[in-house]
Amino acid sequence: MLVALVGGFLLIFLLFHMTANLFILRHDDGQWYSAFTHFMGTNWVVKIFEIVLLGVIALHILLTLWLALTNRMARPTRYHQPSKSKTHTTSKLMVWTGILIFACLIFHFTDFYFVKLGWVKGEYMVKTEKLQESEAAQMQQFAMQMGMTPEELLQEMEAEAANYGNEIDGQSTKEYIDHLREQLEVSNILQRAYGEGNISDDGKWIRHLTYDDRQLLRRVMPESDPEPDFYYMAREKFTRPYIVIVYLIFFAIVFMHLRHAFPSAFQTLGLNNYKYNNLIEVLGKIYTWVVILGFAAVPILVFLGL
Amino acid sequence: MHFTLHIWRQENRHAKGHFEKYEIDNISAECSFLEMLDQLNEKLINDHIAHPVCFDNDCREGICGMCGLYINGRPHGNDDGVTTCQLHMRRFNDGDEIWVEPWRAKAFPIIKDLVVDRTAFDKIIQAGGYISATTGGVPDANNILVAKHIADQSMDAAACIGCGACVAACKNASAMLFVGAKVSHLNLLPQGKPEALDRVHNMVVKMDELGFGSCTNTYACEAECPKQIKRQNIARLNRGWIGQMFGRDRRK
Amino acid sequence: MNLDSKIPEGPLSQKWTNYKAAQKLVNPANKRKLDIIVVGTGLAGASAAASLGALGFHVDIFCIQDSPRRAHSIAAQGGINAAKNYQNDGDSVERLFKDTIKGGDYRAREANVYRLAEVSGNIIDQCVAQGVPFARDYSGLLDNRSFGGAQVSRTFYARGQTGQQLLLGAYGALSREIARGTVVLHERHEMMDLVVVPDKDGKPRARGIIVRNLETGELERYAAHAVVVATGGYGNVYYLSTNAMNSNGSAAWVCHRRGAAFANPCYVQIHPTCIPVHGDYQSKLTLMSESLRNDGRIWVPKKKEDAEAIRRGEKTALDIAEEDRDYYLERRYPAFGNLVPRDVASRAAKERCDAGYGVGPTGLAVYLDFADAIKRLGRDVVEQKYGNLFQMYKKIVDVDPYEYPMMIYPAVHYTMGGLWVDYELQTTIPGLFAAGEANFSDHGANRLGASALMQGLADGYFVLPYTMQNYLADQIYVGKIKAEGPEFDEAERSVRERLDSLMAIGQNTDTHHSVDHYHKALGRVMWEYCGMARSKESLAIAAQKIAELEAEFYQHVTIPGHSSEMNPELEKAYRLADYFELARLIVADATQREESCGGHFRVEHQTEDGETQRDDDNFMFVAAWEYQGHDKPEVMSREDLNYEYIQIVKRNYK
Repeated sequence: MLVALVGGFLLIFLLFHMTANLFILRHDDGQWYSAFTHFMGTNWVVKIFEIVLLGVIALHILLTLWLALTNRMARPTRYHQPSKSKTHTTSKLMVWTGILIFACLIFHFTDFYFVKLGWVKGEYMVKTEKLQESEAAQMQQFAMQMGMTPEELLQEMEAEAANYGNEIDGQSTKEYIDHLREQLEVSNILQRAYGEGNISDDGKWIRHLTYDDRQLLRRVMPESDPEPDFYYMAREKFTRPYIVIVYLIFFAIVFMHLRHAFPSAFQTLGLNNYKYNNLIEVLGKIYTWVVILGFAAVPILVFLGL
Repeated sequence: MHFTLHIWRQENRHAKGHFEKYEIDNISAECSFLEMLDQLNEKLINDHIAHPVCFDNDCREGICGMCGLYINGRPHGNDDGVTTCQLHMRRFNDGDEIWVEPWRAKAFPIIKDLVVDRTAFDKIIQAGGYISATTGGVPDANNILVAKHIADQSMDAAACIGCGACVAACKNASAMLFVGAKVSHLNLLPQGKPEALDRVHNMVVKMDELGFGSCTNTYACEAECPKQIKRQNIARLNRGWIGQMFGRDRRK
Repeated sequence: MNLDSKIPEGPLSQKWTNYKAAQKLVNPANKRKLDIIVVGTGLAGASAAASLGALGFHVDIFCIQDSPRRAHSIAAQGGINAAKNYQNDGDSVERLFKDTIKGGDYRAREANVYRLAEVSGNIIDQCVAQGVPFARDYSGLLDNRSFGGAQVSRTFYARGQTGQQLLLGAYGALSREIARGTVVLHERHEMMDLVVVPDKDGKPRARGIIVRNLETGELERYAAHAVVVATGGYGNVYYLSTNAMNSNGSAAWVCHRRGAAFANPCYVQIHPTCIPVHGDYQSKLTLMSESLRNDGRIWVPKKKEDAEAIRRGEKTALDIAEEDRDYYLERRYPAFGNLVPRDVASRAAKERCDAGYGVGPTGLAVYLDFADAIKRLGRDVVEQKYGNLFQMYKKIVDVDPYEYPMMIYPAVHYTMGGLWVDYELQTTIPGLFAAGEANFSDHGANRLGASALMQGLADGYFVLPYTMQNYLADQIYVGKIKAEGPEFDEAERSVRERLDSLMAIGQNTDTHHSVDHYHKALGRVMWEYCGMARSKESLAIAAQKIAELEAEFYQHVTIPGHSSEMNPELEKAYRLADYFELARLIVADATQREESCGGHFRVEHQTEDGETQRDDDNFMFVAAWEYQGHDKPEVMSREDLNYEYIQIVKRNYK
């Protein structure tokens, strides 16, 4: 019963997840999708929701495994002949599809969610304005005025360090120089971005940052807050055939799971009767197809370059 | 017709069982599965091959619920809406191999060969599968009005014969269809309302205690029920369970 | 033997009231000190145990199946009669009483039948309160249909599964008492002997039983202040019958052996609407409910050549034109038509088939046709009323009864005879009571449809709980009965010897046959020579053939396994051994009864148009037989039937 309640919650979540995914399909250079992921990555309500969601998934898995175990114990000796009884579509595979989904989910998380947590290296982006307001940007500008590259500026400063004495603006010179060196690296990132055109179409984001870039930015200027660039990561991944195939298989398994899950939740909660049973079955079919087609559309269309 | 039979043989509750292979000839297509076993037993006795195969059976018209064999992967065999005694050999092809197993469930221990102990069902009924109406002292029958569609639904559920095919078919050996049917039969009727919540609670608790599995909505029970009891009865039981969580008086 | 029927004083309609007013009762505190054994969990046994348990007695109940709910009452299809007059069609207690007496061909005891009709209404009330889902009409009120032998609609029904629903009601009540601890259930236990112990005045009393645990084969003893036998009838003496495979007459028979008189054994009901026999491996016959005769019309072809063509498979029922069909029941009995009582309908079918008009491959079948009903009511209505019966027919015969008429033929169904009981349902052994089909009491020579359920429940719910108290009232002084003493030892020893001697048969001979082999042979003899039509000659042949078979059985039957394990062959063997004795008694009783009445048809005694001819001057009595030993003929005593209120006429359904 709890399994159904929790499962029902997950059903609703999937609908939400799918809608967001469809944003990837917009050829807007990730404006909508990034706005969405940005919101998801920063809002505190979402953070709470995230914890609840993970808890719910864990509960769903633990409960069902326990259920499967006790259910197996209810028949200590198995039949010799495999069952040929007619059963509800995919219902007998729930545990297996469930386990497969869990495995695929880990794969999926390495692709996306763990990137966000920083456990796995991905591709990142940062708001242009954050960097433009940074010290590094000022340094770059100053260097340009001096007719030097920032490196030259820094080298010069290092060379002349002795002249400044031990302190600059209340900081030890060494620390100041180190600070500048870090700023220089930030400015390199900035320069590379402009040089290679890694700026989003609306000019608001600097993209294609590496994991090292992100670590640096986080250390040097936490306020810049670099985020994973899911839009491009997704688009890039889905050009690789094997990833697309793995995801399509994943969705097929999810389909099998959901195909039974939807009407089943109603049954377990006793929320059906003779009158509504067909309706629920039809709604279940619609829901499952919509969700799965929605999810599957992304890798397929991206792969086809649409 | 000729068949090759693989039949589960087991001395008693504690013995280890095994499959035994038998060949049988000259079976008429009109004969029922149990009559085929009768002929096998006749042969086993006359030719001193083995002790006859024990199997439960009684009315042989599909109503007592005594018979029940797991035949080629299906409780009551390859036909819908029948008990084993109503399964006819015309449902098989000449020369078929037939595997015959007893019901298998922790709550239904095997007594001998194909005979299982289904007293667990009686214990569930004793936990609340009745309306407390002591003999005498009841109102006139027509004082209790029951809407026709309610009476019909109640009757649909009451058609359960307690054969255990639902448990046998269920991959979890769950008795939810049996309990759901009994609860539906009684709780739908106005006479059953006063004890409805306790009935659901007590019967479900007893069912779990006896070692039946849980329902995971595969509906094999519905497909194999010889009386075609519907899964809606399980939903009604679930609804009742939620209802009793909030509405039952626990002070007793 | 002195047969005191203990009918209370007073006018018929006051007898039961007077009895209850004058009877002795047991006070509540003493009830729990009294033990009762009930054998059988059918309608009579389960309802009796539940009611006695609810009163506070301690009850041990026994059944041979794995659950009380398997008892063969469950197979009753059509319905249960009650004089409720809900249809305002002129029903009353008096009319139900008269119909039952007339249906029984004036061979039942007036006072018992009147009481049955009187409590019939209470049964419906009780069952509805227990949650039996009887059919309702759109107003929510109870619906009725009509059955054979009645001109009113007084039959309450739950689709075609009325027996099942009533049994589940009684089983529910029983389960409740089991949960409360007043009743203890012993499933898979078979009664093997009755223990009769003389009391301090030397009066014999039923004090216990010996049972065999069918799972382990162990013998067990149970003691009580009174024993109720509710173990059904003995129809399986015919091998092929509508009874369940395990239905047997042995529990009643061991009581008979211990001294209880057995009454009217020759009254066996042959049910007209069963699915015909199709092969010699057949184990049982399936009944098609009598309620089908409400809307179905029975016919055979008018021309012999048509019947022959059908038998050869060259024509089907649909090829026979309307004017070439002989609706023989409507022709012979215009007033009741297809709804004549069972014995009449069965004989009429046999008459047509014997005359060469039968259909089906064997020529032993007649048509039961629903074409008219489907035309008149529509397929949906017919399906709603009889759907499960039609489905059952199709499963068995593999022919769609919506398209082709059903084929039916009579089969052994019910035994009106049984243990002799008085008004209190007490047998000739004090403390031994018999209820339901196991006793002989209410149906005379023929039972009307939907009356068996009524009688079983009347006995269990409303008669035994009263009359047993009258017996038990002075038993509180006896104290607890223990299952020990010479009588218990002797009974257990005799059971053991009986089993051992059966197991030993066939050890020293080369010819071996299974129990079923002999049972089938006995069944054929009984059906052929002591079935629907009997004559002095046929009965003599039957007696001789039974004796031969019995002798052969004791020489050559082979029973594999041991008596100390689950052994269905042994069970069949000791039941068959009793059937041989019973068969002899049936034949003796049929020979003695030189008249035709109800289910007992002697060809020497028929009217010119082939109806039964009673001999009220010489045979208006109950024949009660006393066992004298395995090899000795039984001795008959008479209980004369005095009809004070009923005017005796020729039974006429024309």
